[in-house]
Amino acid sequence: MIQAVEGFGYLGALHAIWLREIKRALRDRGQLVGGVSRPLLWVLILGVGLNPYFRGEIYGEARFAIPFTYLQFIFPAVIVLNIMYTAVLSAVSLIADREFGFLREVLVTPVPRSVVLLGKILGGATVAFAHGCLVLLLAQFADVPLLLSGVGEALLLMFGLAFGLTSLGIVIAHRIRSFEGFGVFSNAVILPLYFTSSSIFPLDPALTGAQMRVVYPEWLVFLVEVNPITYAVDALRGALIGFNQFDAWLGPIVILAIAAVFFLLALRDFNRS
Amino acid sequence: MPLAAKVTKPVAHDPDPDLAEKGMAVTISKISKRFGSTIALDQLDLSIRENEMFALLGPNGAGKTTLIHILATLMRPDSGTAEICGIDVVRQPRRARAALGVVFQEPSLDGKLTVEENLDFHARMYRMPAPLRRERIGEMLELVELATLRRRLVRSLSPGMKRRLEIARALVHDSRVLILDEPTVGLDAQSRGRIWEYLARIRARRTVTVVVTTHYIEEVEGCDRVCVIDDGRVLALDRPDTLRSRHGRHVLRVQALDASTAAEIAALHPDAVPDGDGGLAIVGGRTILEDLLRRFGPRIDQVSLERPSLGTVFLGLTGRHLREEGAAQQGAGKR
Repeated sequence: MIQAVEGFGYLGALHAIWLREIKRALRDRGQLVGGVSRPLLWVLILGVGLNPYFRGEIYGEARFAIPFTYLQFIFPAVIVLNIMYTAVLSAVSLIADREFGFLREVLVTPVPRSVVLLGKILGGATVAFAHGCLVLLLAQFADVPLLLSGVGEALLLMFGLAFGLTSLGIVIAHRIRSFEGFGVFSNAVILPLYFTSSSIFPLDPALTGAQMRVVYPEWLVFLVEVNPITYAVDALRGALIGFNQFDAWLGPIVILAIAAVFFLLALRDFNRS
Repeated sequence: MPLAAKVTKPVAHDPDPDLAEKGMAVTISKISKRFGSTIALDQLDLSIRENEMFALLGPNGAGKTTLIHILATLMRPDSGTAEICGIDVVRQPRRARAALGVVFQEPSLDGKLTVEENLDFHARMYRMPAPLRRERIGEMLELVELATLRRRLVRSLSPGMKRRLEIARALVHDSRVLILDEPTVGLDAQSRGRIWEYLARIRARRTVTVVVTTHYIEEVEGCDRVCVIDDGRVLALDRPDTLRSRHGRHVLRVQALDASTAAEIAALHPDAVPDGDGGLAIVGGRTILEDLLRRFGPRIDQVSLERPSLGTVFLGLTGRHLREEGAAQQGAGKR
């Protein structure tokens, strides 16, 4: 009880830390430009460009039984991509705080480290979530109808994913302490995770395992299936275009698990340093 | 062979019968800390009185910053205890932090926030209610003369302004003990002088204990007490004038015309240390001066005899020169 009251007393500090992350993000033009240009590139150029090649029946033989256009298909994945970039890279603020001494200032205040960490992650997650919402603005160009119930679910999933990936960024920032190293390593993590998440090509649920291995090499199928982002993308597809390659309940659970595991890892690191 | 071996001896601390009764702002007992094989602090004892202006003076690597980090709860000592206003910094770090205001050696502001936002963030971290926050931020900005710059982004401020802002920040939450680790390093002489003016002004306005580390000797003259530390131990602790009269010695500075003469002088006075300006500093008075002039007269470029000062106290106690001392004196001359 006393602890709960004390925890409540740190809400102001939590808000201050969160607000600082938001202000810093808004004042960083480069980050904003990336958040806008990335989805435009993926949706307008890649999506529109590959759209005609997506449907098997164009060649007279319906290989993939997916009743969507390519644009509709990659649209939820582009949301995930935009969240991934912003969330993971937002942790660069931890490196900056360490480098410019601000972290020390925060650590000599009476605020517990767990509150400091939570505030930072919530701040980064909010910015990443906002960048995910920017993609939603392109929905009508991708022919994705925004229905209230679907969007509500999608927003929840997006925030959960943003929280988990910001935590992942913090975990990486704890291990790689230079700006350059962090940028290179993060890109080396983000892009492979994105490409192997069934984001830009489907694993057809109608195909049996054996058939699938004929279409795709076994190692690729394996990579897609072990990649947790696959399930996050799948969950967003379920919410936005009503298409799931896996069981519908799997995606939200994997997103929750990502958030919980990486937050706890980040907390452990942060308390130790 | 440095002077240290010869002149360093255990120094009796100024016995003060009132010490036990008076309120102590900082109590450090038997603190030790080592990094690998380096001993940073060696069974250090220290008590700092409430409302005192206390200086820790020592060369780089003496253990000052380690001590500050332990007091600021950023580092745990290997053994020993430290208390801030009676609060143990190891056992109750959060309570101790609430009583502390710290200005670190390296800058610790957020350059992307404005002057006011930096202070507001800090005040929120100390759970200050909004009206009090506004009031204190206004007062502090007034005090360090940054009130007109409150909406400026911090990264556009000069180093001196940033330092002033950090001092304001360390005081915003009504801290009882203000710790400053080398607050004047890297600032020009004028800014350094102003920092000390602000500190004096703060002490005139409210009760606050100030603990400051520095290696600029002329800066500690205005402090109530000065503690000389080196190799993690207290070498002397007293009022500046007492230190001067008790430990001060004459120091002779000699500049030879050529290197071979310098080598001969060094051979004759194995205790001599480089004075930072290409000459030698020798602890000693008139007799040594006369002897030097007799032996090397025409081959000496410059020689001067320095009266006891805190600088010579330091040289006598540690056998070391404060590296930046030369620069500091030049700065003082300009003022």
